[in-house]
Amino acid sequence: MSKAKGEGLTRWWVIAPPTLFLLLFFALPSLIMVLASFQYPGEYGGLAPLFKDPARPDALAGLTLETYRFFFSDIIYVEIFVRSFGVALATTLVCLVAAYPLALLIARSPKKHRDLMVLLVVLPFASNFLIRVYSWMIILGPLDLLFSSFAVVVGMVYVHLPFMVLPLYTNLEKHDPVLLDAAQDLGANAWQRFWRVTFPLSLPGIFSGAALVFIPVLGMFAIPELLGGTRDILIGNLIKEQFLGSRDWPFGGTLSIMLTVTVLAFAALAAGLARGGAARSG
Amino acid sequence: MKAPHGGVVALLLVWLLGTVPALAGDRLYLYNWNNYISEETIKRFEAFCGCDLVQDYYSDNEEMLAKFAAGAKGYDLVVPTGNAVDALIKQGALLPIRKDLLPHFANLNPAYLDTEFDPGNRYSVPYAYSITLLGYNEPKMRELGIPTDSWAALFEPQYLARIKGKVTVLDSQRELMAAALKYLGYSANATDEAKLRQAKELILRAKPYWAAFNASSYIKELTLGNIWLAHGYSNDMFQAQQDAKRAQRPFTIGYSTPKEGAVLAIDSMVLHKDGKNRDHPALAHRFIDFMLEGRNSADLTNLIGSGNPNRAAAPYIDPEIAANKAIFPDAERLKRLEMLRDLNVRQRRLLNRLWTEIKLR
Repeated sequence: MSKAKGEGLTRWWVIAPPTLFLLLFFALPSLIMVLASFQYPGEYGGLAPLFKDPARPDALAGLTLETYRFFFSDIIYVEIFVRSFGVALATTLVCLVAAYPLALLIARSPKKHRDLMVLLVVLPFASNFLIRVYSWMIILGPLDLLFSSFAVVVGMVYVHLPFMVLPLYTNLEKHDPVLLDAAQDLGANAWQRFWRVTFPLSLPGIFSGAALVFIPVLGMFAIPELLGGTRDILIGNLIKEQFLGSRDWPFGGTLSIMLTVTVLAFAALAAGLARGGAARSG
Repeated sequence: MKAPHGGVVALLLVWLLGTVPALAGDRLYLYNWNNYISEETIKRFEAFCGCDLVQDYYSDNEEMLAKFAAGAKGYDLVVPTGNAVDALIKQGALLPIRKDLLPHFANLNPAYLDTEFDPGNRYSVPYAYSITLLGYNEPKMRELGIPTDSWAALFEPQYLARIKGKVTVLDSQRELMAAALKYLGYSANATDEAKLRQAKELILRAKPYWAAFNASSYIKELTLGNIWLAHGYSNDMFQAQQDAKRAQRPFTIGYSTPKEGAVLAIDSMVLHKDGKNRDHPALAHRFIDFMLEGRNSADLTNLIGSGNPNRAAAPYIDPEIAANKAIFPDAERLKRLEMLRDLNVRQRRLLNRLWTEIKLR
C-alpha cells in the first residue's frame, strides 16, 4: 500500500516538471492567444483593454466577435489556408519520397556505419537556418528558379527532410529481417516483400514523420519570404504581418486559433482514418 | 601553436581590469537601426562623455514598436521613422526634448523640422533620412529604353514587359501603396477606400511582371545582376552601387527619385519614458547634441549614404554623395516628397485586407 503510494509520488515527481513546463509555456500562451482573438485591437498596436477606462468612455474595450466575423467575411483568408495546406502537403509528400529510400538504406547498412550516417543526416542543423536558406538563394538565383513556388517547396523540403528521415529510420531499423526471409520463402518477389511487409510495418514511422514535417511547414514564414515569388504567401506570413505591418494582434490571434483548430481537425481525421484502416486490415 | 604564457594572461587581466573603471561609469542605452552609427562616432562619443554607449538593434519600425508593445524597457534613446514617432507620441511613450540642452539644434535644416506628427519638435530630433525610390541596373535600363525618373517603370506593363521577372518591390504595405498612390497622383497618406482600391488594381496589373516582394535581399540581387529594377530605400541603393563598384561588375547601379514624388522617411532621436537614465536626461541630451555636430552627423552619411538633415554636416560629406540628387534633393524635389503618417485601427484593417489580396492574387 505504502509502496504503491511511494511509486505514485515518484511518478508525480517525474511527470510534474514537463507538465508544468507545458502548462506555463504552451497552455497559458495559447489561452492568452484565445483571449486576444476576442479583444479589440489597440489604437496604436497591441490590444485594447478588457475593461473600460472611466476616463475614456468612448474608447474600445471588452470582448468582441468582430475579428472572427472579419476572418469569415472574405474568402481570401480561407484561400490562403487552402494554399498553405497544399504547400505543406506537397512538402510532406516530397520529403516522404526522398526520405524513405535513404532511411531504408541507413536501416539496412551494417550497424557500425549507421550512427555516422544518421549524424550526416542531421549535420546541416549545425549551421544556422537562415544561412542554409541563403545558400539556396545563391544556388537558385543563376538558374532563374529563385522567387518561385518551386523554390519555396525546395527550401521547405531541404529544411524539413531530417524530420522525416529520423522517425522513418527509427521505425525501419526495428523490423525483423526474418519476416522478409519468410516472405521470400513463400514466393514474394522484392516488390511484394516491400509493399506487403516493410511498408505496412513502417506506417507508424510515416505518420510521425509526416506530422513532424506537415505542421512546422504550415507555420513557416521565413522561407516563402526569402525564396518565394509574388504569389507565395502562406498562413505564417499572414500571421506575422498582423503582428508587424498591420499591428493587429486580435486578427493575428484569430488566424493562429483558426490554424490550430484546422490542424487538430486534420489530426483527428487522420487518426480516425488510421484506426479505421487498422480495424479493416485486422 | 603553444599556449599563451602565464605572463601574457596576467597582462591581459591587468589590461581588462584597467578598463573596468571606465565601464563602471554611466551607460546610455540606444535602440537603433542596424549599422546606423559609425564605429568612429561611437568611440569619439564615449571619449567625450566618459560613458558607455550600449546598443540594441532593430531592422524595421514594426519590430521596434512590437517590442515596446510587448513591454520592453530600459532604452533611453530610440531612432524611429516618422510614422513610428507618431505612434510613440500618441501612446505617450516619449519624454519631451529639452532644447536648452541642445546648443547644436540650430544646425538642423528647417525643411526637416516641424513635421506634421511632431509640430515644434517637442519629442523628436532629426537624425538622418532616406527616400523610397527606384534603384536600377543602368546599362539595362538604357538598353531597354525604360524611364528611370518615374514610377511608370514599376507599374506600366508596356515597360515591365521588357524586364519581366527582373523587378522587386518592397515587402511593405505602406511603401508599395504609397508608390502606387503617388503614381496615381494621390497623397501617399490617402486613406479613402476608393483611392486605395485603385492603387491595389494598379499593383495587381503590374504584379505578374515582378519577381518578388523583397525587403531583405534586393541589394544583393541588384549587385549580382539578377534583378534590374528594385523599389527600395536610398541608402540601400547607395550600398548596392558601392558594392557593384567594389566587385568591379560590368555594370553600374543607379538610383533616382521618381518625378511623381516619393516617401521621405526621417529617422529621429527620441527619448523613451522607460529608459534606464530617464531620471537624469542630461546624458541622453549630450548624445543628441553630439550627433547634431556637423562632423559626427556626416560620419553616418559617408558610411551608408543616408540623407542628412544637418546643414553643418555639409563640409564633411564626401563631395560625390553631397552632389547626389537622390540623397540630397533640391527644393523643387523636396516639395514632392511626403512622410507617411500612422494609420488608425480601421484604416490598418482595410489596408491589411487589400494587402492580403495583393499578395494572394
